[in-house]
Amino acid sequence: MVKKEVEPLLKRVQKPAAYTGGELNSVIKDKNSVKLRYAFCFPDNYEIGMSHLGLKILYGLVNDREDAWCERVFAPWEDMEALMRENNIKLYAHESGDSLDEFDLIGFTLQYELSYTNVLNMLDLGGVPVLKKDRRTLTPIVIAGGPCVCNPEPMADFIDIFLPGEGEEVTNELVDLLIKHKEMGSTRLEFLREAAKIDGVYVPEFYDVEYNADGTVKSITNRETAPAKVKKRVISDLDTAFYPKDFVVPFIDVVHDRTVGEVFRGCIRGCRFCQAGFIGRPIREKSPEVINGQCRAISDATGYDEISLCSLSTSDYTKIDKLIPMLFDWALKENINVALPSLRVDNFSDELLEELKKIRRSGLTFAPEAGTQRLRDAINKNVTEDEVLNTAKKAFEGGWTAVKLYFMMGLPTEELEDIAGIADLAQKVVDLYYSNPNKPKGKAVTVSVSCASFVPKPFTPFQWEPQDTADMLQEKQKHLMESVKSRKISVSYHQSNTSVLEGVFARGDRRLGEVIYKAWQKGCKFDSWDEFFNFDNWLEAFAECGLTTEFYANRRREYDEILPWDHMDYGIRKEFLIEESKKAHKSETTPHCRIKCAACGANRLNGGKCDARK
Amino acid sequence: MQGNNSWTDVRMFYTKTGTAKYISHLDTVRCLSRAMKRAAVPIWFTEGFNPHAFLTFAMPLSLGVESYCETVDFRLTEEVDLTELTERLNATMPEGISVKKIAVPKFKASDIRYAEYEIVFAYPNESLIAKAHTLLASEEIMAEKKAKQGRKKVTKEINIKEHIKTYELSQKDGKLILKTVLSSGTSVNINPSLLISAIVKDTGIDERDADITKIQSYTENMEIFR
Repeated sequence: MVKKEVEPLLKRVQKPAAYTGGELNSVIKDKNSVKLRYAFCFPDNYEIGMSHLGLKILYGLVNDREDAWCERVFAPWEDMEALMRENNIKLYAHESGDSLDEFDLIGFTLQYELSYTNVLNMLDLGGVPVLKKDRRTLTPIVIAGGPCVCNPEPMADFIDIFLPGEGEEVTNELVDLLIKHKEMGSTRLEFLREAAKIDGVYVPEFYDVEYNADGTVKSITNRETAPAKVKKRVISDLDTAFYPKDFVVPFIDVVHDRTVGEVFRGCIRGCRFCQAGFIGRPIREKSPEVINGQCRAISDATGYDEISLCSLSTSDYTKIDKLIPMLFDWALKENINVALPSLRVDNFSDELLEELKKIRRSGLTFAPEAGTQRLRDAINKNVTEDEVLNTAKKAFEGGWTAVKLYFMMGLPTEELEDIAGIADLAQKVVDLYYSNPNKPKGKAVTVSVSCASFVPKPFTPFQWEPQDTADMLQEKQKHLMESVKSRKISVSYHQSNTSVLEGVFARGDRRLGEVIYKAWQKGCKFDSWDEFFNFDNWLEAFAECGLTTEFYANRRREYDEILPWDHMDYGIRKEFLIEESKKAHKSETTPHCRIKCAACGANRLNGGKCDARK
Repeated sequence: MQGNNSWTDVRMFYTKTGTAKYISHLDTVRCLSRAMKRAAVPIWFTEGFNPHAFLTFAMPLSLGVESYCETVDFRLTEEVDLTELTERLNATMPEGISVKKIAVPKFKASDIRYAEYEIVFAYPNESLIAKAHTLLASEEIMAEKKAKQGRKKVTKEINIKEHIKTYELSQKDGKLILKTVLSSGTSVNINPSLLISAIVKDTGIDERDADITKIQSYTENMEIFR
């Protein structure tokens, strides 16, 4: 519901329907009959934000309560923001049209580091002081969750409370507490003191950080009611955890616009570069009956013509053979497609492969991640060349003619021969296609190689590794282009300083808050968008604060260095990560969790339970 | 639905008002096919590899224009009570889209020749009011219309005056209201924004501040399109 003064702006922007609200299944309540108003903010545009499953879950969860109302807020695109500032219109929530400063809880999800400046910009546009020290009244309280919260330090100047881990339970506990303190008329400090006592609540102002002369962290000391280590929250049983019965259906085309069935959390694979695979542990699976029922309900309530199963590696779901026929049974009859991203086709049964033939075929994608077996072993991507080629063979025999191969560049221990290995593997896939006697006549194969730049992340065995500099990456890119001989192979890579910045914030400390603030003042926002990214402004901001990107991104850390996120407990033991790091440097693999438990320690947070070992 | 040939072709009449006017044509297509699915309308699906609900719109509506006379045609594969179907759809429509009725069509979509619009300038100035009167009374209102020449996009000058069937200017509560019937349909279609641009030119009024509502579509004989 937009306010009257916003109406004239809508006729002057590119996608007005991204700002109107009024979408089907959006929740309208009477603001006078609720005790707490929650603004769920996604620090990117509507099209990205509306694709996010976490938003849908928490929106449903809070709105399920009679005493609270959750609304959605997104970062307006450039054209809309300019008009809003020009006309003194504050950033508003889509449901009520009320501005951000009228809310009690303002929750951001930090999905990627390059969205940080948008958090500042949205607070500012919403009339909320950007720096937490300037917020003096009890409300609004600004909270943040999401994967980046495993190292929240760069955002500590702006966020009152971080919620590491899964938000379903802790959100309700925090809402309860804030309602209580609103009724008691508490001060902000009184509320924060109580909040810090809740498991999985990190109040950064109750921690003092000291630095050594060389810029590394000397100590992190907790004060007040805050624990020395903050444990991330884990939902024990996904079958009984809250899941929405419907999704808000956007008018405009958004990135992921479909029913999503969450299958399991965590990952058994243990790829050493993958943060999601470690911070999402322990493994917890949902039962097929529950997933099927949830997909059914959401499809009925939205009219979506596609269901997508969501997890880090859907084919590792132990009951996939049961779930797929269950879903197909009703979905295909109703012309609803089922999409299965993150599939490893290698471990599928023939029956399941036969079932999968019923659905619309999307492109075939493999992620070998590295070009040689040595490097694949070092990163613990337990895929052999034979497995890639066998699967490609099956696919070509099944009629596919296009294959996408995903790789990373700049991995620890990587040499130029590993880069050449990328071209070799792509060439082998091309050759394989032409050796198939039943290949479709007159159809050429296309192998698309896509290379991302590796960024070391906290809570992975590579958290101590130096990140390749832009120069090193450029040399490797050049080498790759020279190694590719066939015109059937197309190579794409993202050559940008955005990964430098991503690396800096991923492993940064509190001193970066000032850099982020200055960069934002210089106009930085939407940094993950090439058309907005301005690296020069960032470098200026770093220089003004006396900091460098190299210190954070390109430096090798010692195992005994105090890391800025050492007071966050994600279950994973540091000793485990050190062992894994050492094995990486010897190109030794670790089998996945179903073959052998690697004792990562994540099950400690779930009463010793992990579904990888049942 | 394959092999089933006992179908009924129907036309749905609906309004698109309020903020729903900001839903583009393509988004409206998607929005309505999802509504059909939610309401379990037994609609005919295309039979290709990528089956989708088959919906045919008489005329796409421009972004930002409200309408009381939208229509979409589709095929029912089962016999259903059309009044009940209307209710079912209305129960699941987003704000601003409302089904008036579903009926067997009388005309073909290509029979549309005219459309009636109401154009409201909420904050007119003297200059705009004078300009609107003189311009509409003149013999020639030249405007640049986007067109296609083969594949090339070109603009050509046309005289819109020839395509204004009727017009009526009035003032109410400080607003300037223009009711007009313009050529519409597959052969010549005059977007009211062309006329608005011509009117506001040199008056200091921004054309985007005119509110446009489509009131009715008509056939050659000025029969209401049904």
